[in-house]
Order: sequence, then structure tokens, then C-alpha cells
Amino acid sequence: MSSGCDHAIEYVYQYLDEEASFFTKSRIRLHLRRCPPCMDAFEFERHLKIVINERGRSEPPPELFDTLRALIQEEREKNEPGM
Amino acid sequence: MADQASFETDAMQYAPQLYSAALRMTRNPADAEDVVQETFLKAYRAYDSYTEGTNLKAWLYRILTNTYINKYRKQQRRPSEVELGELQDMYLYKRLGEASGATQSAETDMLDAFVDTDIIEALEALPETFRLPVLLADVDGFSYKEIAEMLDIPIGTVMSRLHRGRKALQKKLWDVAQQHGITGTPHE
Repeated sequence: MSSGCDHAIEYVYQYLDEEASFFTKSRIRLHLRRCPPCMDAFEFERHLKIVINERGRSEPPPELFDTLRALIQEEREKNEPGM
Repeated sequence: MADQASFETDAMQYAPQLYSAALRMTRNPADAEDVVQETFLKAYRAYDSYTEGTNLKAWLYRILTNTYINKYRKQQRRPSEVELGELQDMYLYKRLGEASGATQSAETDMLDAFVDTDIIEALEALPETFRLPVLLADVDGFSYKEIAEMLDIPIGTVMSRLHRGRKALQKKLWDVAQQHGITGTPHE
């Protein structure tokens, strides 16, 4: 573990979230090119983010859309008594 | 200024995402539907205050998050930050690495063994303080700034909660991996 590793690990999320500063990003990129263990760890975290994004969702019940449309329709009619 | 007449056309495409987020927040389908319905009603009523061309998804999520917090947060005990304990950085990576031996990239391959219900279980196990930022960042892809606005907390707080929340999520995923034998022979 070098100070470059410590820096990379400290900013891993900001880097992967695309929230790191230009300077931090450049420094990390340079480090990753030279440090296979850190590159491996970053690849893991990047992959985990994708897994959570793709598998953390649930489908709505099919009737949700009709319920929402009816709700808005009702609200609209309330405000337009002439309709 | 947005036209109320186009609300349905504009907003309905986000209903599935909003429902999924509400379900992760409330952990209950009936409550999730309530939150989404209330969100749509509030959004429809306030639609003339939405500036066209700005991020509609973020605007809707802000209403959703506020609706959830106002409705449910008071019912819940606020977990203290200490409760999560001190966890190592890259917790899951290190545990999976120990389990798989020295094989290069084996940890990343192991991630593919997690199914939807594993990820959902781990997300829903997070204390609310950490669950919301993790959901908004990792499942819904919002920026730190957008999350800070939605939760009405400083960006620094978003970052620290995300950091701690992700570690706790990784700990939970490790527990799930062991229970389901993803790591080979279940131990402990």
C-alpha cells in the first residue's frame, strides 16, 4: 500500500460517482494505470454500483397507471366545475 | 412555467421509477402506492411552479422524498450514526477476496451471483438515514447536489452518509452471500 493507494481508496466513490475534481481524477487515473490491485478494487466497486442499479428495482402493480390517471382526472374536474 | 394540461404526458413515464423508490423507502407496497399517489397529486397541483426544461425527474423525486419523510419519518426511531459501527473500506471486496483466495478478479465475478431479491433485501435493511442517500445515488443515479437538495442536507453530509451507507450495504450483502452460499461453503 502506497500513499497513492490510500488516496485512490479515499476518493473511490467520488471518482466512480463522477463527482471528483479534475485534479483528483487525473491523479487517480495515473495511479490506477500503475497499480493493478487498486485497478481491480475499482473495477469491483464500479461493477457493484451497476449491480445495485440494475437489480435494486421493483416493478409497479399494473393498475398503478390507471389509478394515477384517475386521480389527476378527478383533481382536474374539481377545479373545472363547468366540465 | 409548465402547462398543467401536459402533466400526465410528461410525468407518467417516471411512475415506475417513483414507485420502486417509494417501495424501497417504505418497504411496503400499500404505503408505496400511497406515497406515489400523494406525490402525483402534489406535483400536478404545483406543476405551474415547475420550470420547463429543468430536470423533471429530480423535481418529482424531491416531492416524493418530502412526502415520504413527512409521512413516515416521525413514526421511526432515528438510528444514530454510531449504530453502524466502524466498518472497513471496500468491505465486500475484501471479504470476497479472502473467500476466493488469490484468483484475480474472482470478486467481481462473484457479484453476478447476487439476484434482485438479495440486492433489495440489503438495501431495505439499511437504516433510513443511510438508505435514502444510497437509493438516490446508486439506484436512481442522482448527483450529490441533487440529493442534498432533496434531503435538505449539506453536500458534505450526503457524502459521509453515502460512504457509511455503502459500507453497511456491503456488510449486508456479505451476510446475504454467506447465507445463500455465494461464497462457497457458508461459514460462521
